[in-house]
Amino acid sequence: MSRNFIDGNEIRITVKDKIFCDVEFFSGEKLCNLEPRRLFPVSGLSEYITFLDENGEEQFILRKLENMEPSQKELLLGCLEEYYRIPKITRLVSRSEKHRIWLWNVETDKGNYTFEIINHIQSMKMFYDKRILIKDGNDNRYEIPNIYELDKRSQKLILPDM
Amino acid sequence: MIPKNLLINKPASPEIIRIAEKLFKNDEPLFAVVGDLELDSRYGEGAVYVTKDRIVAIGSGFDGGFFSLDFADTDKISVKRMYGNAVLKAVTAGGSTIDLMRFTFAMADICDAAADFVTKVKEGESVEDRLAAVEGTFKNLRSFCPKCGRKLPSPNADCLNCQGKGKIAATMLRYIKPYAGKLVFCIFLSIVTTVAALVPPYVTSLMVDSVIPSGSKKMLVAVIAFLVLVYVVQYGIGALRAYHLRIAGDGIIADLKKEIYAKAQYLPMKFYDKTSTGSVINRVNSDTTVLQQFMLRITQEAVVQLFTMIGIIIIMMCMNWKLTLLSLTPVPIVVLCSRYFGKKIGPLYRRIWRRGVAISSILSDTIPAVRIVKSFSSEEKAVKNFSRQVDDWLYEDKKAGKVAAIFPNIITFLITCGSVIIWFVGGNMVIDTPDKLSLGVLVSFISYTSMFYNPVSFFANLSDSYQNALASTEKIMDIINAEPEHDFGKDNTLDTIKGKIEFRNVNFSFDRSKKVLNDVNFVINPGDVVGIVGTTGSGKSTLINLLMRFYDDYEGEIFIDDVNIKDIDMGYYRSQIGYVQQEPMMFRDTIFNNIAYSVPGAHPEQVLNAADVANAHGFISRLPDAYDTMLGERGVGLSGGEKQRLSIARAVLKNPGILIFDEATSAVDSETEKLIQDAINRLIRGRTTLMIAHRLSTLRKANKIIVVDKGNIIEFGTPEELMALKGKYYKLINIQSMSEKVAAEKAAENFE
Repeated sequence: MSRNFIDGNEIRITVKDKIFCDVEFFSGEKLCNLEPRRLFPVSGLSEYITFLDENGEEQFILRKLENMEPSQKELLLGCLEEYYRIPKITRLVSRSEKHRIWLWNVETDKGNYTFEIINHIQSMKMFYDKRILIKDGNDNRYEIPNIYELDKRSQKLILPDM
Repeated sequence: MIPKNLLINKPASPEIIRIAEKLFKNDEPLFAVVGDLELDSRYGEGAVYVTKDRIVAIGSGFDGGFFSLDFADTDKISVKRMYGNAVLKAVTAGGSTIDLMRFTFAMADICDAAADFVTKVKEGESVEDRLAAVEGTFKNLRSFCPKCGRKLPSPNADCLNCQGKGKIAATMLRYIKPYAGKLVFCIFLSIVTTVAALVPPYVTSLMVDSVIPSGSKKMLVAVIAFLVLVYVVQYGIGALRAYHLRIAGDGIIADLKKEIYAKAQYLPMKFYDKTSTGSVINRVNSDTTVLQQFMLRITQEAVVQLFTMIGIIIIMMCMNWKLTLLSLTPVPIVVLCSRYFGKKIGPLYRRIWRRGVAISSILSDTIPAVRIVKSFSSEEKAVKNFSRQVDDWLYEDKKAGKVAAIFPNIITFLITCGSVIIWFVGGNMVIDTPDKLSLGVLVSFISYTSMFYNPVSFFANLSDSYQNALASTEKIMDIINAEPEHDFGKDNTLDTIKGKIEFRNVNFSFDRSKKVLNDVNFVINPGDVVGIVGTTGSGKSTLINLLMRFYDDYEGEIFIDDVNIKDIDMGYYRSQIGYVQQEPMMFRDTIFNNIAYSVPGAHPEQVLNAADVANAHGFISRLPDAYDTMLGERGVGLSGGEKQRLSIARAVLKNPGILIFDEATSAVDSETEKLIQDAINRLIRGRTTLMIAHRLSTLRKANKIIVVDKGNIIEFGTPEELMALKGKYYKLINIQSMSEKVAAEKAAENFE
């Protein structure tokens, strides 16, 4: 079965309910209530966006966001941003350990928060030598887009575990 | 009004309570969920209160601070899980969608329960029944240790993880304890050798100041003979001590390895879902050695060095207290340096450990899968990948090496400075006031000074091995302190297992970001042969995993013969189930032992009969070594169908009350499938059997079918009932029949 790959300039989207959108092809065909999702949410944020229908069936794959008209791209990015909304850690305020459970108190772009990490080794992954993804004890995710842009103290606390 | 004992996950803020009190004047909420995000996904608070006929969302995102929706005006209510959080959404009868509450995955289970409550009550189910399911979820939520966050065996029970847990030293002591006698004996020997080591410098001063100037050769021989005796005692006892130390050390490491391995056997599947096998192997092999070395350093060398240091200080003080104080001047600097060094090297060792794990993981991935590597001609790629990881390790190790190499030399330099100071001050004293300090005493003092700096240097460098051991201990503790499978019903066995299976309101997710099973309910009667069908990833194998008790942290209950499976002794329970997997697992052992794995000590005739029933005896007897054939790792040397028949033979030998086949024939050809199917048909007579299957041929014996779709049981009944229903099963059968017909036609053409 071949996948239906399309380019950004072949579609026009209308956002329905934050993460859902209607898609109209230039051929006139219209698909409603599709949910765009990244096929590479970690390694390729603006490439290969799959569009799923209400039953979770893939309708087509958008190759690149780059080819889209700026306003369309913005709409789609808004949908994706809503779905992939994870707090970005801007500072590690404190970190303590008790009974092998680490308690992180962080400042994020969504406010201050405290969460637990059950296992440092499994719950923290570094990508491209700077981006860190963290999963807490409740399977919530957090991101540090660039560890080297954090303050020195936060770096000092986090980097040894990477 | 709001009842005082309202079912709620955590106290709501005063603002939410104020609004809620205003809203519930005439009716009463049954339960409430307090969320941890605002609707715009900022950390904050929102809440939903649920009554028997309406749901009320309270939060800053609503006009007036709340939104009330009657069940009657609700078309659909559900939890939408996204990448980073989830939203409780409602679709009104008018078709508009409303986000009622946003929350992190910590709240996902209770929000699911709330959505289920509204949906089911709206569909006409009784409020009491649905509230019982919600209460179950809340109960489950409270079953977490407030200290460590781990799940408790039952609500308010003591946490196994936090019970009597000490620090690293306490953990080490536990392993040292069995060898305490040997270690104390070694310490005694150490004291003897330490005292012996302190004698020669004193003898030196005697020689320089008295024996040699006196010109008495007899005295010289006597002193030298005494010196030889001291050396014999020192090194002889040293050898004895080394032997006993090795015995104790090996014992400690053996116990540690055994305990980690034993612990690893009883860890739940969830642990292995998240931990690489390379990492576990690394902990058993390398980390135990690091820890053993450190324990011996602490219990032996540290003690010896401490005694040496005290002894030397006493002797030096007796000789010349001024010079003694002078010789102590570098000590504070050495201690400060040591602290700095510890802070510097600790993180580096943690990084080295991570790189080591990465290397082990590649090894445990690629070496067993060497056939795949070769079949894809990926040798070069594998080598490159491995080299890259080794280079990463090398890079980190070099960094640590730099610090580890510079620091001891700085210490040595400081120590040398101390000796130089003594030479300078002491030399002047010998020249200026020879009556107060003789040459012999100065030489002897210098010897003691250099001996004194050894323990100082030892304790200064201890932080290096301490940090290394700390990194390893952390990893070992991850396994030793990991929460084991809970055997709530230990020693509780049933007389016989008839085979009635019931799933009641079962919900499950591997992690909270995705629900795998959703409100599963069904009853299977004794002797039923049940086919479980559904698309890949629909949750079929998860049903089996829960039934096998590989995962215990599900919501709801599972019963065998009306007894909750959690209340039955786990070992007994699993021994009553025959489980045949899609990819049968064989051990590096003989065929006989592989079959007899299920019943250790089985009589050879039992094994032969089991192999016969499983249609395996024929091919085994044709092998040159027959039942003594040694299988390679994971059964290398046998075909997939042969391995599968051995795995069925295992199940036959076990004679279980319940049988589970997880796509047992999906990876074999038609002829082998027939052989396996014949074996299965013989085995299932009179036993409750669950068969996950794709092939129609496998399902022919089934008298009941469960159709699973996206974690829900969408159809359940006899094959005839489901065919009449013309739903998913009907479609599946039609597709299968068509493809079988086409395959048969093609086969006939080829034959012609």
